[in-house]
Amino acid sequence: MNQTRKAVVLLLPFGALMALLVVGCAQVMIQSFGWVPAFSLRQWTLDYYQTVLQDESFVASFWLSFRIAALSSLGSMLVGTVLCAALTKAGGMEQAVTYLVRLPILVPHAVVALFVIQLLSQTGLVARVGYAFGFLEDSSQFPQFLYTGEGNGVVLAYLWKEIPFVAYFTLALMGSIRQGLGQAAENLGASPLKSFWFVTLPLSLPAILRSGLILFLFAFGGYELPMLLGATLPKALPVQAYLEYLSPELRDRPYAMAMYGVILVLSLVLAGGYALLMQKTLKRLGGDADGQ
Amino acid sequence: MASKPWTKGVLITTVFLILLPVSLLAIWTFTGRWPWPGLLPKTYTLRTWQELLFGTASLGKLLQSSILLALVTAGVSTVVALMTARACVVYLGAAGRWIQWMGMLPLIIPGTVLTIGCHLVLLQLRLSDTWLGVLLVHVLTALPYSMAILTDLTARVGTKLEEQAQLLGASGFTAFYHGSLPGLMPGIFASMSMAFILSYSQYFSTLIVGGGRVQTLALVMVPYIQSGDRPLASVYAVAFTGSALLVFAILEGAAGLFRPKGGR
Repeated sequence: MNQTRKAVVLLLPFGALMALLVVGCAQVMIQSFGWVPAFSLRQWTLDYYQTVLQDESFVASFWLSFRIAALSSLGSMLVGTVLCAALTKAGGMEQAVTYLVRLPILVPHAVVALFVIQLLSQTGLVARVGYAFGFLEDSSQFPQFLYTGEGNGVVLAYLWKEIPFVAYFTLALMGSIRQGLGQAAENLGASPLKSFWFVTLPLSLPAILRSGLILFLFAFGGYELPMLLGATLPKALPVQAYLEYLSPELRDRPYAMAMYGVILVLSLVLAGGYALLMQKTLKRLGGDADGQ
Repeated sequence: MASKPWTKGVLITTVFLILLPVSLLAIWTFTGRWPWPGLLPKTYTLRTWQELLFGTASLGKLLQSSILLALVTAGVSTVVALMTARACVVYLGAAGRWIQWMGMLPLIIPGTVLTIGCHLVLLQLRLSDTWLGVLLVHVLTALPYSMAILTDLTARVGTKLEEQAQLLGASGFTAFYHGSLPGLMPGIFASMSMAFILSYSQYFSTLIVGGGRVQTLALVMVPYIQSGDRPLASVYAVAFTGSALLVFAILEGAAGLFRPKGGR
C-alpha cells in the first residue's frame, strides 16, 4: 500500500503535464468538429473537415508539407546512415568529427534558415562561386531554392540539421554491432561491404527508422523553417493553419482546428504504425526491438 | 583498422559542409556592403556588433531571461523525468512501460499542435501570456528527451546501494542522496543540457503561449531574419548560438566531472 502511494506521488507531476497535453489535443479535436461553446458554436459536424479537405489551397499545403517531411526524413536517413558508417570506423579523426557532428543538432532552426539564405539565395555564396567559375552569367540564372512552392530550401535546411541527428543517434548502436557481429562476419570471410549490408545495417535499422520517424513528424508539423524559407503560396500546413487560427472571424476557428486535426491524426497514425511494425519484428526475432 | 579513402571523403565533406555556413555567418556579422558578384565583402564594419551590444534591444536582459527560462526548464524537466523513471523502475515494473510510451507523446505530436492544444487549456487556467505557462510547454517539449536519458540509467543504477544504506539506518532521502544520486549525475547533466537547448531554441510555443509578454532571444531574432537585414540577423544568430553552446558546454563539462574514472 505504502509502495503504491509512493509511486503515485512520484508520478503526479508527470501526470499533470500529460493531462495538459492530452486535454489540449482533445480540445483541438473537439473544436475541429464544430463544438466551441465560447464562440456559441454548438453543433457537432464534419462540415469543417469536408470544407477544408476539398479546399484546393489546403490540399496544396498538405502535399507541400508531406513532400518536405518525406524528402527531408528519407534524405536524412540515407545520408545519415552513410555518415554513421564512416564515423564507426575507429580512429582519431572520427572522434573529432563525432564531436563536430553534434553542432548542427544544437544550432536552432531559425539560425539554419539564415544559413540557407546566405548560401543558396540567388545572390548567395554558392551563386557567387558559380559566377566566379563562369557557370552563371547572372544571379537570376541560379536555381531558385528559396520562397518557392516546392519548398526545396526548407528541405535543404532540414537536411543540414537532421543528417547529423540520424548519424549521432544511430552511432552507439551501430558501433557496438559493428564491433561484435559485424567483425565476426568479416572474420568468417564476408567482405566489409557484405558484412555491413547483411549484418550491421539490418540490425541498426530500428534506430535509423525511429530517428527518421521523429524527423518526419517534426518536419510535417514544423513552423519556423517553412515560415522563413517558404513561398507565399502554397504555404506549409502548419503555417496555413496558424494564419487561420489568427483569423479575426472567431467562428472560423473550427477550420484552423480541422487543419491541426489532420496534422495530429496523421502523426498518431504514423507513430502507431511504426510501433506495430516494431512489435511484429520483435516477435519474429524473439529479441528486443531496440536491438540491445 | 586504418581509415578507407571513402570514409575520409565522407568525413572531410561533412566537416566542410558544417563549417562553411558557420564561417559565412561570422563574416556576415562584420559586413558593411557585399555587392554581387564579389566573393568577399567590399566594406567591413562593426555597426552590427555595436547595435547588438549597445543598441535598443538590451541584449543583457534578453540573455538573462532566455537563459533563466531555459535553465528552469532543464531543471524541472530533469526532476520530473527522474521522479517518473523512479516510479516506473522501482515501483511499477512492467506497467512502467506504458508510462514510458506516454512520455514519448510530446515527440510524436508535432510542436505546433502541442502548442495550440496547450494554449487552449492554459487560457482556461488563466496561464496564457504568463512565464509559468511558457515554462510548462517548454518542459513538455523537453520531457521525452530527459526521460529517454534517465529511465535506462535509473534501471542500470538500481537501488542496491540505497537499500544497503537504509539497512544501516539511513533515512530514505539520505540513502537516495548518497546511494543512487552519484551514479545518476552524468545522466542528470546530460538531460539538463538537452532540455536547455530545446527550451532555448523554442520559437512558436513562446510566441503563442507567451503572447509577447515573455521575451526570449529566439523571439527577438526571427523578425530580424525576416526583415532581410542580413548583418544584423547574423549578429543575433551568433549571440544566440554562441550563448546556447556556452551554457551547453558548461553543463557537459559538469557532467564530465561526475563520470566514473576509467570508464567512458
